[in-house]
Amino acid sequence: MINLKTTLLSSAALLTFATGLSAQELTVWDWKSGDPATFGYFDAAKEAFEAANPGATVNFVVQPHDQYYTLLGTALTSGEGPDVVLVHGGAKTQSRAEALVNLTDKAENFSGVEAFSDEAGNVFALPITIQGFAVYYNKDLYEAAGLDRDAAPSSYEELAAACEAIIAKGDVPCFALGNKQGFGGEFFVSQIATSTFSDEDYAAWVAGELSWTDPKVRQIVELWVDGNERGWFNEGANSIAKFMDEYEMFMRSEAAHTVGLLSDVAHWKQFEEFLGEGNVGVFAYPNPDAEVARLPFGGGIGWAVPKAGENQELAMSLVEILADAERQAIFAVETGALPANTEVDTSKLSSEALARALELMASAPGASPHALLNPAVLEEWKRQSQSLLNGDTTVDAAVEAMEAARKANM
Amino acid sequence: MSSPEKTTPPRKRRGGDGSKAEIRMAFLFLLPALLLVLVFRVFPLAWGFVLSLTNTDGIGKGDWVGFANYTRAVNDPTFQDSIVNTLLLLATLPIWVMLPMLLAILIHQGVPGGKLFRAVYFFPAVLSSVIIGSIFNIVLRYDGSLNNALAAVGIDAVDWLGGSATALGSLIAVQLWSTFGMGVLIFLSGLSTVPDDIIEAARIDGARFWQRLFLIIVPSLRPIIEFVAVVTTIGVLTSMFGLIYVLTGGGPGTSTTLPEFLIWLEQGQLNRPGYASAISMILFVMMGGIAYLQIRIMTRNASL
Repeated sequence: MINLKTTLLSSAALLTFATGLSAQELTVWDWKSGDPATFGYFDAAKEAFEAANPGATVNFVVQPHDQYYTLLGTALTSGEGPDVVLVHGGAKTQSRAEALVNLTDKAENFSGVEAFSDEAGNVFALPITIQGFAVYYNKDLYEAAGLDRDAAPSSYEELAAACEAIIAKGDVPCFALGNKQGFGGEFFVSQIATSTFSDEDYAAWVAGELSWTDPKVRQIVELWVDGNERGWFNEGANSIAKFMDEYEMFMRSEAAHTVGLLSDVAHWKQFEEFLGEGNVGVFAYPNPDAEVARLPFGGGIGWAVPKAGENQELAMSLVEILADAERQAIFAVETGALPANTEVDTSKLSSEALARALELMASAPGASPHALLNPAVLEEWKRQSQSLLNGDTTVDAAVEAMEAARKANM
Repeated sequence: MSSPEKTTPPRKRRGGDGSKAEIRMAFLFLLPALLLVLVFRVFPLAWGFVLSLTNTDGIGKGDWVGFANYTRAVNDPTFQDSIVNTLLLLATLPIWVMLPMLLAILIHQGVPGGKLFRAVYFFPAVLSSVIIGSIFNIVLRYDGSLNNALAAVGIDAVDWLGGSATALGSLIAVQLWSTFGMGVLIFLSGLSTVPDDIIEAARIDGARFWQRLFLIIVPSLRPIIEFVAVVTTIGVLTSMFGLIYVLTGGGPGTSTTLPEFLIWLEQGQLNRPGYASAISMILFVMMGGIAYLQIRIMTRNASL
């Protein structure tokens, strides 16, 4: 009888202990920790967190990027799920702000927090990268087409002249374009609108009150068609994925330009590894109606704490470690991403292309209108961008469809 | 010969103690299945219907909007296109039925290598749609194998997956390739029930192959044809998501957007479970109609 009592008590104690332990385990959802280039960052964060919180452990769970928000939506709906989540800036975070803990008091010394904030300035994620959208070009292909390899186009006319020369050479298309999921069209919105939108335009755009018949917005559609009609894009863009078929095309020197990123993929570092340092040029997509071509950028990805988590204090402590200068420096150096923490020393990130991108970010900064667009309207634009490439619709019909989508989703 | 009275076991009267015990026992045996149906079928269905009457974003409870989501679906050009695509898909049904039937008949007639063909035809059925999609993505993309093969014989490249005129057809062809093996097996099992002596008698009477096919074999296979038609219809309406996702992403435009893909888009990407539920309920009603048809056909053919 004593044995039975002892066993039961021991079991109960063990269960209590185990429950206590499991309460100290944080589950983190992301789509990055499976990438070998990020192992150093995640290991350092885990080590620092577990050293600062004895008895607590952290478990990084890699989720498929394509399904990430489907899975996250289900988790948030059920009120259960991870303690910490990685999120994209813009509408992806803002539309889920209701389910995330307010991190405003921890968001000092970060660039790009606007992408993770609501209209009142409340911050819901601490950014770790800056996301930008730049036009990269292959300098060798410029030279082969008789162009000055160091003279990046600074106006629409210059870009048109460069494309004419490249097309006339006949070896490669002017732009690598993958629009299978509509990302080519999506990024194009920011390429064009960032150079012409005023603060008032942005406010109206975010509120869904800026009409697609407005000349500045209609121009997105017109220039998309213009590039297509001029033969700048590769054939079959609608069956080529932007990630990563388009970029692989560019890295194989099978196209002269690509609209790439400034975060941790499809960027200067990756392109220079394939094409060679000194062979990758950078410029902002010129707009015929703007004197200066701005480079669109903003907060890239960041760490957030769902309200449904049971260990919010601990989770916030982990988020602070994941976003601190020491950890972001590791992420930046190993992946080539631009850090959002302003205290990170970026001197180790040196390359000709990056230097030019940073120069553009300082001299001609622009926001990323596509990231601020209503997701349903953006989805319609992706569809329209594909139909426009195929010639299945006209500029007028596409603008009309976009206007209908805007009104339906105000 | 024994009389029926002697062979039939004595029947218990209704309402007796034994009957109650039997009912309790029957209920006990049925309980697990009933619970499974209630928890995993009926409850989610009811919950989905309630969700479809709200504008929830999946985080808050949302407001009651009545049938606004259904009205929205009816007026949504993307949903309208998805229904048109569904009808186009259903219009290809004769191919889905005839192809496996003809191949099964050829195998049944004893073409050389019949067993090998039977195995080869069935092989794609064991592959997941994502794997099949990945394979055909390499084959059908603009710079893919098919266009390279066409270029070798001087034919211009076609954007099979990116062209609005070819994308849905390409998707249907891939789905057909990946599933027709199952149809072949069903038809082969059906053919085993066609009496050989009738076919042999027809052959002796001078009936040619096509006459035997259309006058004896096909009429005998009628219940199987109906069964395959209904099962295939349900299959193509509910199991093409993986292929769409990998091959075309619903595009170009709305060319390959089917209701099930739209449901995923609205729920997973646009965070609108209320609207996604409304589309799901519409799809459920469509499927219910087909299921009703299936039950009618099964009942009608039960005596055959």
